[in-house]
Amino acid sequence: MTALGVFDSANLNGGQKLAMKYFAVSLALFGAQVLFGVLAGLQYLFPDFLYGVIDFSVNRTLHVNALVVWLLYGFIGGTYWMLEDEADHKVVGLGLGNLIFWVLTLAVVVVVLVYLLVQVGPAEMKSIWLINEGREYIEAPRWADIGIVVAVLVFFFNVVATFAKGRYTGIGGVLVMDLLALAGLYLAGMFYTPNVSVDQFWWWWVIHLWVEATWEVLVGCIMAYMLIVTLGVRRRIVETWLYIEVALMFGSGILGLGHHYFWIGTPQYWLTIGGFFSALEPVPLVAMVVHAVFDSGVHRLKNSNHPALAWTIAQAAGNFFGAGVWGFMHTLPQINLYTHGTQWSASHGHLAFFGAYSTAVIAFFYLAAQKSRGNVWMSGNLAGGWKWKWSMAFLWMGMIGMTMALLIAGYEQSQIERAIEGSSWVGYFTAQAHPWFVQAMKWRQISGYLFSLGYVLLVWDLFTIGKRETRPIAELHAPSAQPA
Amino acid sequence: MIEPVALADFFTVFFTAALVILCGGLYALLFAYARVKDTPRLMPLAYLSYAGLAVSALVLAHAAHLFDSAFWTLVVGLMLAGYLVAPHGIWHLCVGTHGDEDHAAPEPESPRLV
Repeated sequence: MTALGVFDSANLNGGQKLAMKYFAVSLALFGAQVLFGVLAGLQYLFPDFLYGVIDFSVNRTLHVNALVVWLLYGFIGGTYWMLEDEADHKVVGLGLGNLIFWVLTLAVVVVVLVYLLVQVGPAEMKSIWLINEGREYIEAPRWADIGIVVAVLVFFFNVVATFAKGRYTGIGGVLVMDLLALAGLYLAGMFYTPNVSVDQFWWWWVIHLWVEATWEVLVGCIMAYMLIVTLGVRRRIVETWLYIEVALMFGSGILGLGHHYFWIGTPQYWLTIGGFFSALEPVPLVAMVVHAVFDSGVHRLKNSNHPALAWTIAQAAGNFFGAGVWGFMHTLPQINLYTHGTQWSASHGHLAFFGAYSTAVIAFFYLAAQKSRGNVWMSGNLAGGWKWKWSMAFLWMGMIGMTMALLIAGYEQSQIERAIEGSSWVGYFTAQAHPWFVQAMKWRQISGYLFSLGYVLLVWDLFTIGKRETRPIAELHAPSAQPA
Repeated sequence: MIEPVALADFFTVFFTAALVILCGGLYALLFAYARVKDTPRLMPLAYLSYAGLAVSALVLAHAAHLFDSAFWTLVVGLMLAGYLVAPHGIWHLCVGTHGDEDHAAPEPESPRLV
């Protein structure tokens, strides 16, 4: 262990060193997501802005792909971070894991450069293989798809082999099964068929079942570890609750897939299935509320890492509002007929992704920052603690502002474009020119700037937090400990 | 077959759907808080929140024409029953899983920062 407060990779085990690389790229891609989101937002206000240079379609592709990839990098980093602790064994095949990190990162850079510099190609298979597959969220060309599968398989090997050589914990067992599903489901996104209904059917297997099933479980696993580390919750309890949450999430989330099958040409029974299971999807969130209150009453939230715990609590609240409230508001097919694909979806998507996933990855960033500086004090009266608080405040103010602005725009679109004008082109443009829509886009942009400010502060904080601290976190439970 | 929501009922549907989840969360929160702090006087507020949930669900069901079909009526009934019993069930699970927490031996194998 080196000097307290000084960043040194010697403070980390092998898996954690690899995790830090994933976290670094994840943080950079988070910045790319923010940047291209701001540019895309500007194009709503000034349609000529960057026209013919980086069109809206390109900005949007980069905005949403950066989101998916930075979260995946964060999840992979989170898994490597806890792997040696969980398995009580050094990461098996760490060299291969490191090699694949560089290969994957190089592939991401090449894909981004192709999106930016080549952008489009002729309507032939060569474009699908080399430029863009054309399906939103997973636009990566086919060569990159195959590379992602290979990278995930190596990651899977690292995880399984490490647990096999060490010990299998409850968290480890759930994690391994979930990673198998995560890799398998991605294959469903590699079908190509000229029938758009069939194509969308399989595409949603990746988008919905990743986000509302396998990602939820993956985040459940890394947050379970987070609760053990920061709050000292007993493993048996955390693992029991992980099983319960997985059962609840899979019970409602898998067939909740139906709410994406409402209007893509699938049989009508999907309206029934989707509506029913969508109504069930908030049940795990209610369970989470009860358990959170119970735990805070029992453990009094005495913790070893204030920023990480604050982001963990934000994850619970963000998940509840973003996925639960914003999702259920427009999930029943009777109303979804009008809202599907409007800015209403974007409002729900922004709050749900940020609330459920970004918060969890940011919490892990802080956990990594603490250990990489030699388990420095990050509880009460933290030196320079204003930065994490203000970055969190700006990120949340920006996100809530964007969500509310998009909600207003989506409400106006669902009425004018969909209900009154019957989803016609005239309706589309009438809705986009309406003062409520235009004003909402302006407020969304202002909120986007606030969010960007929060991101800059977050990066600054992650690079400096704990630097001026001289107290080890071990002091937390000392008799003269400062209030936590 | 579904009957789409009338334009005039859009706000009602969005608002009541949000209230269903918010009241459900508030019910769960107050229910658990009343139990964990041993303050039974909060329990009526919890059930008042549930009543808010029930009213919201019924108004939502009416505005979204859910009562026009037996299936959707059943969904509303199950949702009301599910949200009523969920906090009770989860509470029992909490008590069960944390039951021997104070008496159990420490777990040295668990990673901790401190």
